[in-house]
Amino acid sequence: MSAPESATHNPIDIDPGKCVRCDFCDWICPGDLIYHEDGNKEKLPVVMYPDECWYCGLCQSICPADAITIIFPEEMIHNKTDVVSLLGKVVK
Amino acid sequence: MSDGWNEIDTDLLVIGGGVAGSLAAIPALEAGLKVVICEKGRLLDHCGSVGCGVDHYLTVMDSGPEWDTPEFLIKHVPGLTDGIVDMAVTSKVIHQMPRILKKIESFGVDFKDPRIGDYYRLRSFGLPGTYHINFDGTDFKKLIGQQVRRGRATVLMRTMGVQLLIDDNRAYGALAFNFRTGEWFAIRAKAVMLAAGEVNRLSKNASGLAFDSWHFPYNTGDAHAMGYRAGAKLANMEFIESTLTPKGFSAQGLNALVSLGAYFVNKSGERFMFKYDEKGENARRAVLADAVVNEFLLGNGPIYVDLRHLPEDELDHMEATLQVDRYTMPAFYDQKKLNFREDLVEISVSEFSIRRSGVYFRGSGLAVDTNGETSVEGLFAAGDCATVSGGIAGAAVLGHIAGEGAVKRIHTSPRSLPEIDREAAGAIRAEAMGCLGRPDGMPWRELEDQTRQTVTDYVGVRRNDKGLRLALATLHALAEKEPTLQADDLHGLMRVYESKSIRLCAELMATTSLTRKETRTRSAHRRLDYPETDDRNWRKFIIVERGADGPAVSTLTTDRPLADAFGRAPERGEADVGT
Repeated sequence: MSAPESATHNPIDIDPGKCVRCDFCDWICPGDLIYHEDGNKEKLPVVMYPDECWYCGLCQSICPADAITIIFPEEMIHNKTDVVSLLGKVVK
Repeated sequence: MSDGWNEIDTDLLVIGGGVAGSLAAIPALEAGLKVVICEKGRLLDHCGSVGCGVDHYLTVMDSGPEWDTPEFLIKHVPGLTDGIVDMAVTSKVIHQMPRILKKIESFGVDFKDPRIGDYYRLRSFGLPGTYHINFDGTDFKKLIGQQVRRGRATVLMRTMGVQLLIDDNRAYGALAFNFRTGEWFAIRAKAVMLAAGEVNRLSKNASGLAFDSWHFPYNTGDAHAMGYRAGAKLANMEFIESTLTPKGFSAQGLNALVSLGAYFVNKSGERFMFKYDEKGENARRAVLADAVVNEFLLGNGPIYVDLRHLPEDELDHMEATLQVDRYTMPAFYDQKKLNFREDLVEISVSEFSIRRSGVYFRGSGLAVDTNGETSVEGLFAAGDCATVSGGIAGAAVLGHIAGEGAVKRIHTSPRSLPEIDREAAGAIRAEAMGCLGRPDGMPWRELEDQTRQTVTDYVGVRRNDKGLRLALATLHALAEKEPTLQADDLHGLMRVYESKSIRLCAELMATTSLTRKETRTRSAHRRLDYPETDDRNWRKFIIVERGADGPAVSTLTTDRPLADAFGRAPERGEADVGT
């Protein structure tokens, strides 16, 4: 598997009790992350590639059952990165 | 279909169904032509960079005052772009802004603010007037998408264009595949429009998550890469663009913050922007980002945005519209337990894009003429992959101009379409599908991660000769590994193509950065070994195209349009480009 460790965070939480198994979240996701078999009223949509999420929330905005919550990971909410580390290395 | 290909013949093929591609399709549909759109998203109404919505639109409106005329804004463009700009194309775009605004309104987009029953226009980013309409554009793309669908375009969704078809410097279509079904398409067209956006996922940001980017992370320079491989000329690829974002979440929203009057302060509580520009927080985006870069390097971080002084009604407006540009922004603040009415918001410099280097009208990408046509005949470009870019409005206006240009090209080129070289097409498909049967190959994530680290370290905001050469050596070594790339599935195959586009664009950026031996527009192109701006030698475009041994670089003085480098005979009447 090529998925990095951060793939363990699922940004798109789908409440199985609320989800009506429509196809909207699959259709609207701009990153092709959410898969749901067209018209299958039994199966839940699956977030196939969670580490490729843009956190745009289009899935949440279109969900007719209010079943989706976007969960930000710790590294986004409480970020500790030293910004200077993003500003390049000077090769002498 | 023969050999497993779905074959389609059309008049105009559009690659990328965002704002630029959709606005390009509309004139062709109005002319009764057949249009095919390849789009990686699933719904035309919600695809592209502003599928989630947009809250500002830059335009002149000819409403009366002098500042609102095309001539006034055009006069200021050289200053806004530090002299590196194609004035021929920019002038045409600005002149057409009022017309395209009215056309988009005719699709049902309401640019007016219901609070005042009029356009609510704000000043930002160093522009010499209140050119940005602040509006609720939640349905902006939906209404444009509906207009395209009413015109009966054929839309191939979840379909990625991967290779242009070229015959004797003339584009006649593209190969594409659907990454849900695995179907391959061989599409012949009388004109091809590239509108696949800018280059993202190019460098690291605070969260370290590659897809957490200010701009659309699924725009990865695919148009740049396809155009380059087809022999098209690109320009301004040396410039980077970055912005300021809440730390940890690379999201849009800077325009709204600065135009409503936010302050930036450093760790000492000092409001520092006026040290860098007399316009303070209203300076150009490139200047804002550069100021924060400098403050961090001076040890003055953390840096914060301060909204606490704003009047209640402005804060109410900001809170009410916070989700228009990025739907999840309120959730981010909620989960962070941060209230911007009472708390300082810590910010970061975002990752870098290749887009328009934090200034309006100087796009980084495929060089186009005043018809939106590239140096390859029949190949057009618009939006953030073209050399004149101005946000959503720029994408809309140049998209429409390029669509009209394509209609003209289609009508004046009656020759029949060449036959597709089936062997060559088959080889491209076989190479792609080979990625799926290579479990021990190099994962696309690895190619991307190494590209991002290289760009971050050596091609970012502190460039020098040695660092750029080191970056190029790494990027060339990575290119050697591309034939071993592997994908787990069809979705991964799409990402393989994207990661190759990102690496190629990084190589073009490093190559052209090495050429430009000066600093221009601050950290958009800062050479530590050439720290001054050198107008005498470098008020020039750097043009890059495919050469015999990799990227070939040339220059053109900026008092001439980029199309002068195309070697194409100008049409009669073309000299009058200002109208």
